[in-house]
Amino acid sequence: MRPGSIIYFFREAGKSLKRNRLLSFATITTVAVCILILGFGVLFTINASNFMNHLESDVQIRAFLEQDLTASQISDIGRKIEAIPGVGSNKFISRDEALQQMQKDFGRREYDLKETLGKNPLPHTYMVKVKNPREVSQLAAKIKSMPGVYKVNYGQGTVEKLFKVTRWMRIIGIIFIVLLLVGAVFLIATTIRLAIFARRKEIYLMKLIGSTDWFIRWPFFLEGILLSSLGALISIGILAMAYGSLISKIDNLFFIQLVSDAGTIRNLYLVLLGTGAGLGVVGTWISLNRFLKV
Amino acid sequence: MLVQFYNVSKIYPNGAKALDDISIQIDRGEFVFLMGPSGAGKSTLVKMLFREELPTRGQIFLASRSVVRMKRSDVPKLRRNMGIVFQDFKLLERKTVAENVSFAMEVVGASSKDIRTRVPEVINMVGLKGKENSFPGELSGGEQQRVGIARALSNRPLLLIADEPTGNLDLNTSQEIMELLFDINRKGTTVIMASHARELVRAARKRVIMLQNGRVVDDSPNGESLL
Repeated sequence: MRPGSIIYFFREAGKSLKRNRLLSFATITTVAVCILILGFGVLFTINASNFMNHLESDVQIRAFLEQDLTASQISDIGRKIEAIPGVGSNKFISRDEALQQMQKDFGRREYDLKETLGKNPLPHTYMVKVKNPREVSQLAAKIKSMPGVYKVNYGQGTVEKLFKVTRWMRIIGIIFIVLLLVGAVFLIATTIRLAIFARRKEIYLMKLIGSTDWFIRWPFFLEGILLSSLGALISIGILAMAYGSLISKIDNLFFIQLVSDAGTIRNLYLVLLGTGAGLGVVGTWISLNRFLKV
Repeated sequence: MLVQFYNVSKIYPNGAKALDDISIQIDRGEFVFLMGPSGAGKSTLVKMLFREELPTRGQIFLASRSVVRMKRSDVPKLRRNMGIVFQDFKLLERKTVAENVSFAMEVVGASSKDIRTRVPEVINMVGLKGKENSFPGELSGGEQQRVGIARALSNRPLLLIADEPTGNLDLNTSQEIMELLFDINRKGTTVIMASHARELVRAARKRVIMLQNGRVVDDSPNGESLL
């Protein structure tokens, strides 16, 4: 490609932008709206996924020990639990600690639990966190089979339901984003088609004079990338402001923790910008090819 | 031979038979009229020259290269060897005369130096000196067609194809345009012109290929069939 041609491409793209102000504006707006919706969709999905991760990682196994174990038997069980592959952390809670905790939960000092009950009815407990929450039921079964453990509790039934729900939520999130993308491509392609349609005579002429397809395409691509990047930047600006204020208002207010890690958010915005530019290219490609078949 | 058609037939997807077993040869430097009533197949034949249409059967060669078997990516090169003049001029309204001509050179990647010297040259050649900065809307029909011809000549084509170039012009203007085309032909460019302006063609005393219902019904070297 000659440098003269590159200058020509930019000049043509610039001229076309100036001439078709209304359509340029329409393209920018369309991309901005699409990316805005997409951005909110992705932010929602990321946060939902983050929330589900929290829920899932909260799942832990309580292993209740039999009453008459010696201290060495207890620590032996602890070691055995930790030796099971897939076990993350393991915390021992003695029956005294458990009672204190219970006492605290009731919250009234004058109400002495131990005195009321006569003796401490609570067992020693191991609180086991697993590396992969999905293995929780298998690990629980293994721990239960160990001598000295008389019962395990990990919210049987509820956990399985939770996983089913979170799995579906993730699938729905992905489908949602894919649908948004497809919709955005067609919306943008239609808008760009209008801009190209206005110049179909010129394209036909160029083809008959002997332009190559790429020579015709480049100015349109430049135009498409420029307009859709601009649209994406606008929507990212709006998104950043909206999400930023949401974080500052919601944070520490709810049990929901919004994803606010600067790196993740920045990457998201970069991806959205890239998606915007990409939508411009795909939209231009789809719209333009029809006019090049001469 | 510059142009060779061998047993070319064209049937459009809707079943219409536009050309039926056409064989034509045109030599370098010739001036050839394609004549015939509307629907005789002139436009289809012209479009095949620059490969806007492909034949259903048969072979077409341009300067010994098969137009039919040509790769899609070679089509631009084929078209750079020809200049096309249209009935409706197909000028870009928002470009000046000079820009309409330089546009044709830019889009095939001509150097800016070549463009600077060639554009005034062809504008001069078609007699539009002084109108370089006018817009098509400010010109008469004849002048607009001259711009179309200047544009077609800008890339120094081997072959000039004119599809009803006088179709939208009055008789006097048409004669001026014909003179211009004869002049271009005298300077060595092969010209193929589709027309149904019988008087104009008869006066020219050039080769006439008569089409009717997609077949060649007559091919006379000096237009004798029209006398």
